[in-house]
Amino acid sequence: MQAVLSFEQAPPIAAPFRFFLTAPVFTGLAGLLLMVDGPESLSSRWTGGALALTHLLAVGFVLQVMLGALVQILPVVAGANLKRPLLVASLVHTLFVLGALLLVAGFLDIFPFAFPLAMTLLGTAVGFFLLAGLLSLRGVPSTSASISGFKLALASLAIVLLLGLLLAGSMAGYWAVPMLLVTQLHVNWGFAAWGLGLLSAVAYVVVPMFQLTPGYPVWFSRYFGSVLTVLVLLTSLLLLWAEPEWVAVFQVVVIWLSAAFCCLTLWLQARSKRAIPDVTQRLWRLAMICGLLACSLWMLVHLVPSLDDWPAWPILFGVLVLVGGFMSVIVGMLYKIIPFLVWLHLQNRGRGKVIAPNMKAVLGETKMKRHLQAHLATCALLIAAVFWPEMLSRPAGLALLVASGLLLANLCSAIGVYRRHARLVDERLAILAEGVEA
Amino acid sequence: MTHPKTDRVIDARGLEPPEPFVLTMDALDHLPKGEKLLLQLYREPLPLYKALLNNGFAYESERTPDGTVEILIWHAPA
Repeated sequence: MQAVLSFEQAPPIAAPFRFFLTAPVFTGLAGLLLMVDGPESLSSRWTGGALALTHLLAVGFVLQVMLGALVQILPVVAGANLKRPLLVASLVHTLFVLGALLLVAGFLDIFPFAFPLAMTLLGTAVGFFLLAGLLSLRGVPSTSASISGFKLALASLAIVLLLGLLLAGSMAGYWAVPMLLVTQLHVNWGFAAWGLGLLSAVAYVVVPMFQLTPGYPVWFSRYFGSVLTVLVLLTSLLLLWAEPEWVAVFQVVVIWLSAAFCCLTLWLQARSKRAIPDVTQRLWRLAMICGLLACSLWMLVHLVPSLDDWPAWPILFGVLVLVGGFMSVIVGMLYKIIPFLVWLHLQNRGRGKVIAPNMKAVLGETKMKRHLQAHLATCALLIAAVFWPEMLSRPAGLALLVASGLLLANLCSAIGVYRRHARLVDERLAILAEGVEA
Repeated sequence: MTHPKTDRVIDARGLEPPEPFVLTMDALDHLPKGEKLLLQLYREPLPLYKALLNNGFAYESERTPDGTVEILIWHAPA
């Protein structure tokens, strides 16, 4: 019975997995770049190395896994089925990976046509994904905070993409835009409206489900995403109208709201029914603490004007948000999603006659813990490297490379389990079928 | 465990996926015609709904004030 009841809404396993598998390659490349470039990459947020590093992490890892996870989550959480998911995933993934690599090549000035090619490929990939995602959500009523959160986050991603294309076109010399202003808009929409917006929409479902915590309060989940998006929109309009005092007021509210999300998640985690936190819970806790540190840093810099002159503070903020925050949460999610998907697809493949292996056998706790330790070391070294770049930027790059390798090895081992068991299932089903015929 | 709606109840509110799914499927395997099964969760199990309809079951879901989603499942009339 179990497998006869197949999850019709689950897309083929290859659709999300291709995004998950290539994402650690980008963080590995970021580690390599930091090892080669050394302190130069951390000296200012505007160097080619720093911009390449940021986009290897933000686009190559964070955005890539988020797109892959959406392929899986939209049908399961929102009941929104992507049409021909494998075709959409293959097309988006291929264009995305090439586009992201070319974008990095553009920042590093490796060859002259990198930016226009990256704009075309990334623009098509993300644009096509947005179209498919929004079409699948068309007609799906916003009956939960997660569904309305997905809709807002996808709309915000469209804005992040357009702003990114404006910036890349300007760097390629096609047009001129005020770089500082458009970069600030790009970062605001990317980190807050898209990143935190999507993270919160997913968290309302996955934190109680996988971490056995109470649910997020209804008053919070109902309004958080929309208030956040409206605040980012108002900040953007005020930035365009050059109203610096009001911009500061709205930005402070966005920071406080982000900090409130981190505090609430930590509070819920403290009420988990699980006696000993597992790797996912630890990664989420690390992410929320890094999120709070990033918010505190932002407030401190804006309260103590002399700190604003410190050129490394935006780098520290970026490390806390991207590596300590988004990367930690995403790895934590991968360690739940991947064993679950392997179990689910093997269960369906066995058609009720062959039972799938236990989820713990798909990806062992020891392997995940080893990677958690490497990730913790990476976070600590990257934060320290902002203060002592000459001494620590290369060791931090090495740690990031090692952690990426361990993540990739863990993902490959889960896929190995899937392939081995899929063969076993097919063999057993064939034997059973022969028995019936005989 | 008993409930005003039925005596066959699965309280899956403190369980991690895929345990609620596995327990529900095992219970449906042994559900006699005319009997009902109640599943309690803190979320709407959208994939389960589709799977139930595809396999000859009917269901009703209701959200209670404490945030629990109660799904009552029975064999659909032929």
